[in-house]
Amino acid sequence: MTGDTYRIVRGYRLALDRAYDRETHMWVSVQDGDRVRIGLDPLGVETTGSIAQLAVLRSPSSLRRGEQFGSLEAEKFVGPLLAPLSGVVVACNDAAIADPGLLHRDRFGEGWLAEMDARDLAAERQELVEGAEEIVAWFESKVDEYRLRGVLAE
Amino acid sequence: MSTGVPRVASAQGRAAAPSPGERGASYDGTGPWRLLRHYGVAAAEGLALDEALMLGYRRGAPFRPPTIRLYTYRSHAALVGRYQHLEAEIDLGACSRTGTGVNRRPTGGGAIVMGEGQLGVAVVAHAPAAETPKQLLGRFSEGIIAGLATIGVRACFRGKNDLETAGKKIAGLGLYLDGKGALLFHSSVLADLDLAFMLEVLRVPAAKLGDKGVAAVRERVTTVTAETGADWSGRDLCGAVAAGFATALGTELLPGDVEGEESEAARTLVSDKYESETWLHQRTPHPDANGSSLFKTPAGLVRVYVALSGATIKSALFAGDFNEIPEPLGRFEESLRWKRLDASELASLAERTTSGDTGLGVPPEALARAVLEAGERALAHAAAAPVRLEGSCYFPEKEPSP
Repeated sequence: MTGDTYRIVRGYRLALDRAYDRETHMWVSVQDGDRVRIGLDPLGVETTGSIAQLAVLRSPSSLRRGEQFGSLEAEKFVGPLLAPLSGVVVACNDAAIADPGLLHRDRFGEGWLAEMDARDLAAERQELVEGAEEIVAWFESKVDEYRLRGVLAE
Repeated sequence: MSTGVPRVASAQGRAAAPSPGERGASYDGTGPWRLLRHYGVAAAEGLALDEALMLGYRRGAPFRPPTIRLYTYRSHAALVGRYQHLEAEIDLGACSRTGTGVNRRPTGGGAIVMGEGQLGVAVVAHAPAAETPKQLLGRFSEGIIAGLATIGVRACFRGKNDLETAGKKIAGLGLYLDGKGALLFHSSVLADLDLAFMLEVLRVPAAKLGDKGVAAVRERVTTVTAETGADWSGRDLCGAVAAGFATALGTELLPGDVEGEESEAARTLVSDKYESETWLHQRTPHPDANGSSLFKTPAGLVRVYVALSGATIKSALFAGDFNEIPEPLGRFEESLRWKRLDASELASLAERTTSGDTGLGVPPEALARAVLEAGERALAHAAAAPVRLEGSCYFPEKEPSP
């Protein structure tokens, strides 16, 4: 990754070399062909609070975008992890399951959650936010919105 | 989604529900909530019906106003949190001796005892797209706070998963989002609590304190009975809590019934899930692990008990020869919940919460060191009995029959 890969946006370190789901705060990084790696973005992690438990599909499982591929227990709740794309979950990150703190410490690297073989990547990535300027603008607006609503500390 | 900002409405625009209005306004603007009341339910049946009610609030189901269920369990039921290990948290022998039911909640948190003295509150609704779990917990707990206020008990949201009265826990809170657009808010409101019984069936740190255990819990937990000086049962609280929800959420509650499909789904959930060994004895990669450490102070020896989930502190308890836990120590103890077991974070927390004076005659870093040591022992115990990772990948869970 180059020095331009990351940018500090409203105080958060944000990777610009991937796409983001507006609703779920999942990032999507294309690995090879239709194989994508997914994880939680900084707002997803911060608003979740300390994560104590992670569970992610292990055996190959076919999902549609928006369906559940795992769950977590965090400070505030027990809830689902939802797929940002349709496809087959082919791997989960054992290291993150063993140490959910990785999502807090290295959310764009070692703290990834799962890998999928996307079924319709070309079409569905249109639904995601991609490109440095678009990502920054979207993220700034979300941080502002969450701060206004008191979801994030000032 | 995931999570904190759980857009349960999916990215494909399958909006789950209209966004709630401002606090005080109607939650959904579409009509009165359904109010259910049940008394003396068994553990599996109580939990199963809550989950069955969620089926009607999933994406694709016709929009309907929320349901609030106020209920008590048959004395007694010991319930562990979603990811806890039953055997580690509950003394199954004691439960057998005392006829106490056991089960696992879908919500997170620690083990609790439920019975006639505790009011269970369940709110089931479409998960609103525009609110985070923290906001939802705050919103629904307003109903309980308002209800307790009507009987002269002033409670407030402690900021994590509890309501407190004068610094003591009076209700526990939990939230479960099912990934299909439905939410379940859970609370256990302590009308009364038999502390000695609780310490007999739950393997909480205070149970290790022998005779001092009851006093240690009493310093940290209170009940409506204790606060008002009059005897209260969970059932007694129903009217006040119902009125509190109506006032705080600006809605009307109409007594209703469980529908046929819901009853059928609940029966299936009892047999297929809540009475299954798979659910009860589920293993997870981070069972709550316990450890303790001892340190010297001018006032005597103090022991700290720490419960961890992985490297996350879920609870801590300081015990020593003090009549009352010193206030700064109490603040530090409370602040530890959901913090990472990290030396610098603990040191900073100890300094901040005690303002440099622990009330024990030792510096704040001594507290941080003790917690770290207890936590490391807990991790060492957990490492000595590793859990296979495969146990963590149990999704998708078996779907209940609609």
